[in-house]
Amino acid sequence: MLRNRLPQLALVALVLFLLVFPTLFPEPFLLRTMILVLLWSVLGLAWNIIGGYAGQVSFGHAIFFGLGAYTSTLLLNNWGISPWLGMLGGALVAVIVSAIIGWPSFRLAGHYFAIATIAAGEIFAVLFRNLKWAGGAVGLYLPIVRGDRLVDFQFNESKAMYYYIVLGMLVATALVTYWIERTRMGYYLKAIREDPDAARSLGINVTRYKLYAMVISAALAAMAGTFYAQFVLYVSPKTVFPLALSIQMALVAILGGTGTLAGPIIGAAVLIPMAEYTRVYLAGRVGGLHLVVYGLLIVLISIYQPGGLMALLRNWQHRRRQRKLAQAAPVTAPAGGMGDGSV
Amino acid sequence: MIRRSKLLFTVVSLAVVLAVMVAGCAAPAAPGPAPSAQEETAAQAPAGSEAASEAVNEILVGAIYPLSGSLAATGVDLKNAVELATDIVNNEYDLNLPLAKTAGLPNMGGAKIRLVLGDHEADPEKGAAEAERLINNEKVAALVGSYNSAVTATASQVAEREGVPFLNPESTSPTLTERGFQWFFRTTPYDKLFAENFFQFLDEMKAKGYDVSNVAILNENTLWGTDVATLENQYAEEYGYNVAANIPYEANAADVSSEVQKLKAAGEAVLLQASYVSDAILYMQTYKQLDYAPTAIIAMDAGFVASEFVETLGDDANYILSREVWALDLAESKPIIKAVNDMYKERYGTNMNGNSARAFTGMLVLADAINRAGSTDPAAIQAALMETDIPADQIIMPWKGIRFDPETHQNTLGSGIIVQILDGEYKTVWPFDLASAEIVWPFPKWSER
Amino acid sequence: MSVETTLLVQTLVSGLLIGFVFALISVGLTLIFGVMDIVNFAHGEHLMLAMYFTYWLYTLWGVDPLYAVPVVAGLLFLLGVLTYRLVIRHVLDAPMLAQIFVTFGLMVFLRNLAQLLWSEDFRRIGDTLVTGRLELFGIFIGTPQLVASVGAALTTGALYWFLKNTRTGWALEATAENKEVAGLMGIDPERMFALAWGLALASVGVAGALLATFNPIFPEVGAVFVLVAYVAVALGGFGSVTGAFVAGIIIGVVQVMGGFLWEPRFKTILVYGIYLGIVFIRPQGLFGRR
Repeated sequence: MLRNRLPQLALVALVLFLLVFPTLFPEPFLLRTMILVLLWSVLGLAWNIIGGYAGQVSFGHAIFFGLGAYTSTLLLNNWGISPWLGMLGGALVAVIVSAIIGWPSFRLAGHYFAIATIAAGEIFAVLFRNLKWAGGAVGLYLPIVRGDRLVDFQFNESKAMYYYIVLGMLVATALVTYWIERTRMGYYLKAIREDPDAARSLGINVTRYKLYAMVISAALAAMAGTFYAQFVLYVSPKTVFPLALSIQMALVAILGGTGTLAGPIIGAAVLIPMAEYTRVYLAGRVGGLHLVVYGLLIVLISIYQPGGLMALLRNWQHRRRQRKLAQAAPVTAPAGGMGDGSV
Repeated sequence: MIRRSKLLFTVVSLAVVLAVMVAGCAAPAAPGPAPSAQEETAAQAPAGSEAASEAVNEILVGAIYPLSGSLAATGVDLKNAVELATDIVNNEYDLNLPLAKTAGLPNMGGAKIRLVLGDHEADPEKGAAEAERLINNEKVAALVGSYNSAVTATASQVAEREGVPFLNPESTSPTLTERGFQWFFRTTPYDKLFAENFFQFLDEMKAKGYDVSNVAILNENTLWGTDVATLENQYAEEYGYNVAANIPYEANAADVSSEVQKLKAAGEAVLLQASYVSDAILYMQTYKQLDYAPTAIIAMDAGFVASEFVETLGDDANYILSREVWALDLAESKPIIKAVNDMYKERYGTNMNGNSARAFTGMLVLADAINRAGSTDPAAIQAALMETDIPADQIIMPWKGIRFDPETHQNTLGSGIIVQILDGEYKTVWPFDLASAEIVWPFPKWSER
Repeated sequence: MSVETTLLVQTLVSGLLIGFVFALISVGLTLIFGVMDIVNFAHGEHLMLAMYFTYWLYTLWGVDPLYAVPVVAGLLFLLGVLTYRLVIRHVLDAPMLAQIFVTFGLMVFLRNLAQLLWSEDFRRIGDTLVTGRLELFGIFIGTPQLVASVGAALTTGALYWFLKNTRTGWALEATAENKEVAGLMGIDPERMFALAWGLALASVGVAGALLATFNPIFPEVGAVFVLVAYVAVALGGFGSVTGAFVAGIIIGVVQVMGGFLWEPRFKTILVYGIYLGIVFIRPQGLFGRR
């Protein structure tokens, strides 16, 4: 009986574990790594909304991350506006920009759209490198505020608060994803992803739904950007706008499984610790090792299992179940759902 | 399909496991508590058990430098220098340098300094991450580094947040000491001083009868280059020189023909350039190719004094002027420079340069402060640093000494020189009374060499 | 000529010189796309590999880059066929997402492998047969750049001739036009695809070997060039060899002249701006067929 409930139990156990993590493992490096895992889960999920569910592969999502970070920082530095409000401001900016970029781009087929996002990403990076009032290449420093008050969105004594905030963001993002998945929007997006022309002929307003997905995705990425700014206390074009960041957002989702809720989270959980530990232990001499492995994994996954780790897991579960069924009723003819041809 | 999935699954899990294993197990001397796998519990006890034996046998100092990445060659120089300084402190040497004649730190029972290295790969974010790791995991008492101004900025920000002293021997961006930080100390003179030096130098050349009225400013557009350009513009106005062109460019360029063309369009001028090594080399090659020969090229150090510069360009590197903080020929007036350089050369195979000399000096200053503090308590070290007063004859730099301004923590006794590359060697040409060679002016045309 | 005119002409010449190299790189990209509707996101990395091979041939065995050109081209041809056989073949009928990810993954893999094996250090090839420069009417032309341009033009010309004047070339074009029909006519699409990849990468091999004579070599070097290639392919019209060639030259000129006339630090924005402009306004490009 308990076995049936296994997935739910596992989920509950996971949630509990996440909640007490900082108490169990207060060691700063570990906590920091975990915060990054959660942050990248958020980013992966955000990317997933447009890249996975809507099927529009974007390699320029760093734009929104960066816009979020810069908006909240500029608002804070110039007008003393609270980073929480700044977060909303950043999301707003991202929504507007994503709509402007997205709307004309949606009619582009997959590859051209992807390249357009790369181009747009690079434009923003160069732009911000050269905008003096936004700090230029130098970047912007956030003032160090002591006191660790929630309203300041800055905690210097312990990183635990950062952890809980990003955990909250993850939960929120997961809920948004879940909502999209289960409602009409998710259904439409799936149709659009599978066959946009058929979807259009069914009366689905393809552009509008892609736009919805795009702006939601952008807003979430931007909020993650604000978090990052408050966490690191420094934003610069090199740290928040690089192509590498866009790539990693896509990577996290692809590895874990696009178009699924758990995929990006799994992807982040695998990718980030590896990246951090590789950097620390192999101290630059084999610095890019984790990316080499990931490049390889992406190639393999694209060929054999585009659904990523999630799909692998599902297949495995499916086969286990089939095997059990087969064991339980060995005399009956093979279940038609196996797809092994006619009998 | 089923078989393939199984294959893929196996491959994927193997790859992941392998990668984690490699990451975890390939750790060389990574002492300290950072776990190699996620199964670590909170029960790690690093040097965090400061309780018992504060009778320290060794003092941990973190050094964050670009050990890999585009500036790896420079990073090696810096690392070597810091290691040499550490060795001099830890052992007995008959040199008139702080802590050389004793083994270890006398005020701490002969305790020795152990360096813990961090690699920032010329990336500000990594620099910050390394600072965090060194402070929180390795429990270093202080940090030294990091060459790139942009990285020093973020790494020292972490130190400021954590309340750990950060000594910066080589970054020259003015902003670094204008942040009101309490834990940041800088020994090297900085770009404000150097930029002004340029114009003092040009004034003196004018006085000698050379015709100089225009300058062209070319700079890479990260923190350092941008700051330099701002200062150069400022002093140009103050000293009455006309800025014929202001050309910021994207660092790590692949092609600079547009930029050089713009320089040519600006006409006769003295070029003031701020570039790191790869760009510096590319520009020189492009100058030669497009036949651009300004009245003079005065570089703000960095790429132009890296060992790669002369190595790659050979004779084409000649006649470049650069501000420098140090030159080997200063040994003629300061024998201790020769002594230290000889040691360096014996161990590492090359002469010292402005970067290694400053890193060396910075490390000694830090060690001296820790010794006077008599403890690894950050606040004690900070207080000791504030009181630093090292005389000119105990350092290998052409400075009047080392004393930190109480507010900005900038060394107020530093100064710069200008060198010229002649026959592949850096010769001091200014101040004229320290010069060891006659300056070649103007920059000879490429066809005339 | 007045100083202004000279500078303008010089800039134009510099732009043309690099434009030819861009053109050659773009031609390879468009060939693959034209034949099988796949964008090779790893194109820049193949260029980077070509440059590194040239560098190692020079550094380890003293082979002058000019002589290395055919060797590297051959190596890259093999690499192209191999890439097709081992990787691309499996995603031909897969959803577009998978096709994008596969070459994208290849890009990540190759770029970081290079960084792992050869470090981030910028490498340069020293003196070669083509070191030096020429002077014509006050215009300076770097010999390596000139040789690279001429080499690129010749290679593209040869490719074009091959496509238009040989049976295999016709077969390739037929496959690009409509692979089912071509298959019915007895043309083996598998061979054509492998050939397309081989030729595309071989041209990148030539470009890389020539570039290596004057360009610094480092793991990310491909990124800069491939972005130009994307733009050129779009500008020229996806699938059109002539288009990609012309577009590459145009972009070279625009980039260098734009940088000179406006601001050098914005020259990349110009190029990307062109891409966006093209795909929004005239998606089929100058010579495109779709």
